[in-house]
Order: sequence, then C-alpha cells, then structure tokens
Amino acid sequence: MKTKLSLLALVFALSSCTTIIETGNKIEKTLSPPDAVNYVTTKPDGGFTPQINDQRFGDKIQMLAVRKSKLASGCMQVQFDLRNGSYLGQTVNVSFEWLGADGSITERQGNWMTTPLEPGALTTITAVALKPESTECRLRVLASR
Amino acid sequence: MKNTFTALALAAILVGCDTPATYKDADGRQLVVSLDKVDIQDFATAGSTMLQSMVTSPAFNRAGANPVLQVGQITNDTGTNFDTSMLLVKITSPLVNAGRVRLLESDPVATAARNNTPGASVPVADFVLKGKILEDRAKSGSTKQSSFVFQLTLVEVKTSLAVWQQEKIVTKQGTMNSIGF
Repeated sequence: MKTKLSLLALVFALSSCTTIIETGNKIEKTLSPPDAVNYVTTKPDGGFTPQINDQRFGDKIQMLAVRKSKLASGCMQVQFDLRNGSYLGQTVNVSFEWLGADGSITERQGNWMTTPLEPGALTTITAVALKPESTECRLRVLASR
Repeated sequence: MKNTFTALALAAILVGCDTPATYKDADGRQLVVSLDKVDIQDFATAGSTMLQSMVTSPAFNRAGANPVLQVGQITNDTGTNFDTSMLLVKITSPLVNAGRVRLLESDPVATAARNNTPGASVPVADFVLKGKILEDRAKSGSTKQSSFVFQLTLVEVKTSLAVWQQEKIVTKQGTMNSIGF
C-alpha cells in the first residue's frame, strides 16, 4: 500500500507539471546509469573507432557515417552523421579535439554544443581544423541528464 | 520549548539546502543556465559554431594563407549589458593562434610606438568582421523562453561585399534558472 502510494505520488509529481512525453523522458533518464562521455575517433584509412562508455545512450544514438575531406586551405574537415534511433527525443551534446599524426592533441573545441534530436532525426556535426597538422578528429558525445 | 525545536529544525533545513561555492570547468556541463541573460556557455557555443562556418566559407578559403582581419562594430542589442569581446575572442583567438589570420589591432600604445618607428607600416585589412546580438522573449503561463540571436558578417574590404554571413540562435526555455544540461 505504502509503495503504491509512493509510486502514485511520484507519477503525480512528474506528470502534474509536464507533458506525457516529458514525463516518459524523465522516468527513462532517472532509470539510466550515470552519464559518461562517448568518443568517435577518425582513422587514417577513412574509417572510425567508436568508444562507447555510456551504453544506454550508445544504443539510442547511432553513428551512421563519417566523412573526411581536405579543404582548399589544406586543413581537414570531418562530418559525423548521427541519428536518434530511439522512440523518445534525445539531446546530444558534442565537442571535439583534433589530433596530429603522432596522436598528440593539436586543437580543441572544448565547449559542448547542444543538439536536440527528435525520434528518428538525423544530424550532421561538422568539425573543421584550423591547423594543417591536425589530421584526425575525436568527437566527444554526451547525453543530457 | 516546542517552538525552539521547530525553529532549530527549520534553520537546519535551510542551512542544509545551501550549496557552498565551488570551481567549475568553464567548458563543463554543470554551469548555470539563465533564462534572462546570455551565459558564458552561450557565447562559447555561438562563437565555435560561427568560427566553424566562417573557416569553411569559399571566400575565406580563397583569401590565401593568412589574410588580415579587422574587427568592426559588434552591437549588443539585448537588454543585458555585456562586453561583445565575450563572443569575438571565441572566434579570433583560435584563428590568430593557428596562424590563419593576422588580426589588425588599434591599440593606442601600439599606434604611438609605430608612429615613432621609422619605416613601420600597417597592412590593409582584407576582411572586416561585424555583427549584432539580439534577443527575443516569449512567455506561456509560467514558462519563459529567451532566444539570443548572434549575427555576424564578414565584409571583403576591396569590394565592400559581404562574403559570409551567419546567424546562430540560442534558445532557452523553462520556469527558472537551472544548473547543467
């Protein structure tokens, strides 16, 4: 009886101020484990290496493709195609670092850029290097709480 | 006696809710999100988005290895007072530090020193960066929404043509300020 009342109170507290979808989002986020940063790093052969540290988020957000090209300035440009494969809206936060041929960090864009993604929506994250010695890009992806 | 206990309990609750000040990573996820002002992370987001757009523009890439850039007028048309260099430095410092542009400075001390240096000359700017920051507010019930609009234009000096333009809108919605995302 006490548990039922607590659950009812929780549902009431969550739903009284928000929409059903927002309530669903909140419940799912509450059930999720603590967020961790996920990485996707480009490789010299044109492929990429994902490093998923937050498996729940990794299951929802899919990395569809990575395109690498060289601009007229001689600097690299990388485009990451991300898709929200879940049934709920997700907010993706991204930042990136550029690596030199020896693996050292040459440039960093540390601030998180926030992109809300509707279910099934696709977004392209573009990263442009400013230095010609930057050859590979490491994308950092983080879910919103 | 009962009143004393009640007062003590209330005081304990109030004190217990206080959060002592701590240092946070300025690029981190635990920053305050304000509905009524542009936050430091909003400048960072707008600046990095615009920088990425500018360096991929055809005009900027045609300009050669390191064109001379001059900062024009950046107008703050929002209701809050802030220095527009909060945005500008996010764009100019990565470009200058990477050697992608030469930034023309109009510092009075540097100008005076140059005037006293025989044979010194100032390069002519290839581009002028100008812009505006605007805001739009809306409200529905107790939910407030603030949109801050960052507009930048890159003008090619020799033709006076706008060769790149970008608008980045940062929208925040809620009933009160919060921490993090």
